[in-house]
Amino acid sequence: MIEIKDFAFQYREGTRPVVSGINLTIPDGAFVGITGAAGSGKSTLTYALNGIVPHCYPGDFYGSVVVDGLDTCETALTDLSRVVGSVCQDVDSQFVTSVVEDEVLYGLENFAVPRDQMEGRVAQALADMGIPDLRDRVISSLSGGQKQKVAIASILAMRPKVLVLDEPTAELDPASSRSVFELLAAYAREHGTTVVVVEQKIALLSQYADLLVIVDEGRIRFADAPADVLEHADELKRIGVNCPRSTTLMNRLRASGAYAGPAVRTVQEACEALVEVVA
Amino acid sequence: MIEFKDVHASYDAALPILKGVSFAVERGEFVAFVGTNGAGKSTTMRLVNGLLKPDSGQVLVDGVPTTELKTSEFARTVGFLFQNPDRQICCNTVREELLFGFKALGMEGPEADARVDALIEDFGFDPNEDPFLMNRGARQLLALASIVVLAPPVVVLDEPTTGLDYRECVKVMDIVGRMHEGGATVIMVCHDMEVVADYAERCIVMSDGAVVDDGPTFEVLRNRATLERASLVPPQIVDVSLELTRLVPRLAGTAVAKANTVDEMAAAIVAASVGSVDEGGRR
Repeated sequence: MIEIKDFAFQYREGTRPVVSGINLTIPDGAFVGITGAAGSGKSTLTYALNGIVPHCYPGDFYGSVVVDGLDTCETALTDLSRVVGSVCQDVDSQFVTSVVEDEVLYGLENFAVPRDQMEGRVAQALADMGIPDLRDRVISSLSGGQKQKVAIASILAMRPKVLVLDEPTAELDPASSRSVFELLAAYAREHGTTVVVVEQKIALLSQYADLLVIVDEGRIRFADAPADVLEHADELKRIGVNCPRSTTLMNRLRASGAYAGPAVRTVQEACEALVEVVA
Repeated sequence: MIEFKDVHASYDAALPILKGVSFAVERGEFVAFVGTNGAGKSTTMRLVNGLLKPDSGQVLVDGVPTTELKTSEFARTVGFLFQNPDRQICCNTVREELLFGFKALGMEGPEADARVDALIEDFGFDPNEDPFLMNRGARQLLALASIVVLAPPVVVLDEPTTGLDYRECVKVMDIVGRMHEGGATVIMVCHDMEVVADYAERCIVMSDGAVVDDGPTFEVLRNRATLERASLVPPQIVDVSLELTRLVPRLAGTAVAKANTVDEMAAAIVAASVGSVDEGGRR
């Protein structure tokens, strides 16, 4: 479980807290999507989960962030990294080797995983991301989507209880983005891993997340099931978060009296509702 | 004015990227290139602005092959916005950055100063701010502004909205839209199909180094064979239209089958729910 209580943080060089009054409880195995306008504080929130704040970026830390029983402020990064796996926004800055297999092995070697377990872990992580065929490839020859999957596989190999990803699909095409979310959701379901994803693509978050968190000016504005958050389309737009167009369509029809159901999250849900509307 | 004739291109001779690409973009068009990562879109953009020369075939800008043009000659005709603004920004203040293009082209002077000052006011920039201390969205706007200020007849944008939030995306695309209204030819690579649907008049679909479809945006994005072949996810309202007409065959001849925007689809659904009404209003 992740428990964030009265968390606030101000970077040392900053003039005011970038996040404040954050209270959030994330149960084990939840798939959490975090979004908000640029500069709203969503990345800082994830830095608190993996310990980058305050261990790498010092500053004034208030309240507490406890991940799987570890207070991230009190726990050394090396210990925290056994529980929380992180995938950077810019995956190229995360790679330390040049071949896929070496990259997946790197974390295992650092964690001194027994030699006889390594082969199984590497094969499993590559299979979980659907990329066993990339094992011997040179990383620089891979496409953006393939690199993203390699970066995630290299973290999954370490079997973290919590996986934190910062805009994992920012540079991917729609089909690859969907594929990354499919694989993450399937992995999380199977292994009970808690997944926390920061993402601008609200259509993807709405489809895959159990809990959708909207951050606005350093505070949590909404934290609820996606369909419940999307009920507040006008408020979301005001704070710089645009709903999926299938949601906007159904909200529009509801306002005109043609539809009376809840907010929809996906094209599929919209179509299911529309079949009834036009029946 | 931009013409590709059977262009083959690569970074490594053993790994061809473009495998015979042909198209022509006329003056004043707004064209989006779509397709999966690795389809050859960014390579095509690099050929348009002369950063890359074809292995075979021809890339013509205003009828002149790019192999016969110098980079400085391109810069006057083609403004290029990189996917990552940090590859573009090189000066210590916003004002210097906006003046840089004029300096590079040897066009410094009072007119350049006046254009830069007007643009700073229009964009609401602080002229003395250090670009590298600005956030990602603001840096992208500055990179775009440094092209806008030179008013090139052709603008090439490589994923102009990647990494931007909704408000920044709208701001950037509104500026691009204004350049287009002012007569600029816009050629854009974009993964955000909603942005493509909102702005582009024509869509060129690439897959595995080749053009697989080319036509008016919504005709292309409604073509199931194209969507499947290029692994494209259509804009959501087009997706609703395609899926709903499949689920409810009687809607095939109605406005639901042609609605491309939220407004059009909402009106079409209301009409369809009142009764079975065809496009001519016949029930």
